[in-house]
Amino acid sequence: MRARDNPFSSDRVLRVRYRLHGLTWEQFLARLAHLRFRAAIVGPDGTGKTTLLEDLESRLAALGFTPKPLRLDEDHPRFPPGFEREFFAQLRARDLILLDGAEQMSRWNWWRFQRRSLRGDGLVITSHRFGMLPTLLEARTSPELLAEVLEQLLDTAAQPGFNQTQRLFQKHRGNLRNVLRELYDQHAALPHA
Amino acid sequence: MNQLRIGLRDERKNFQPGDEITGAAGWELEKAPESLEVRLLWFTRGKGTEDVAVVNTVRFEHPQAAEARPFHFQLPPAPYSFSGKLISLLWAVELVALPKKQSARVEFVMAPEGREVVLPSVS
Repeated sequence: MRARDNPFSSDRVLRVRYRLHGLTWEQFLARLAHLRFRAAIVGPDGTGKTTLLEDLESRLAALGFTPKPLRLDEDHPRFPPGFEREFFAQLRARDLILLDGAEQMSRWNWWRFQRRSLRGDGLVITSHRFGMLPTLLEARTSPELLAEVLEQLLDTAAQPGFNQTQRLFQKHRGNLRNVLRELYDQHAALPHA
Repeated sequence: MNQLRIGLRDERKNFQPGDEITGAAGWELEKAPESLEVRLLWFTRGKGTEDVAVVNTVRFEHPQAAEARPFHFQLPPAPYSFSGKLISLLWAVELVALPKKQSARVEFVMAPEGREVVLPSVS
């Protein structure tokens, strides 16, 4: 199957947005406001933290904030030299920092980042571990959630059975990103239609 | 209702490097945008992060809320459209209304003889 036709190509997967279960976006934003817009989305890899942070960005802008997205990851665990100095020098009221991958920071860098972020109006982070900021939401996945995602990506006829969905979920220990990558490879191996 | 449309002359979808590509862009918007752009671009699709490169742009100044205008581009020598299992490279012309960034796009193939390069599988 050609990359462009693969139902698990990145452009299609990126259209699957975060599904809040048990609360509405209004309730989620009210919770964030209660935490004074300084909070963490916590969870292991592949549970949708980055997706949720991205979806939060436009809603914060609608509330009158100026979101300032930043990202750290295993390949880039630090900001370039001089970046933070310049970034915080320009930080203003109504700026709200969205930091993806906060767990990459050392304790000292995190402590300093937090203090400097007080110049703005908030800080929402994603993290693998609890305790960096009050928990806004713990990102979790389930075989049922995986099934919902697959419903969005695949035609009805191509939907895997629940046993297969559950096997994939367990194989990748709930990391939906890795499940979708495996499904990409499976579909790539299919003959071109 | 906001609507943007873009089409290529004779609904042609296959081009060779260096060909001229012509078409028309049309729009019906609730109010006149600041401007519109037609962008010639290529992008990747597949397993990894998408890459995109805007090769050329035609800007329509002082547009009305509803209008149609022609455009043309000279296609570059590369990159060719190609199709593999992990990644495909596609070409497109895209109409974008600013500042809201509403858009419409039409894809086409650019490669020798107008046929995309098919990457063989590696076993």
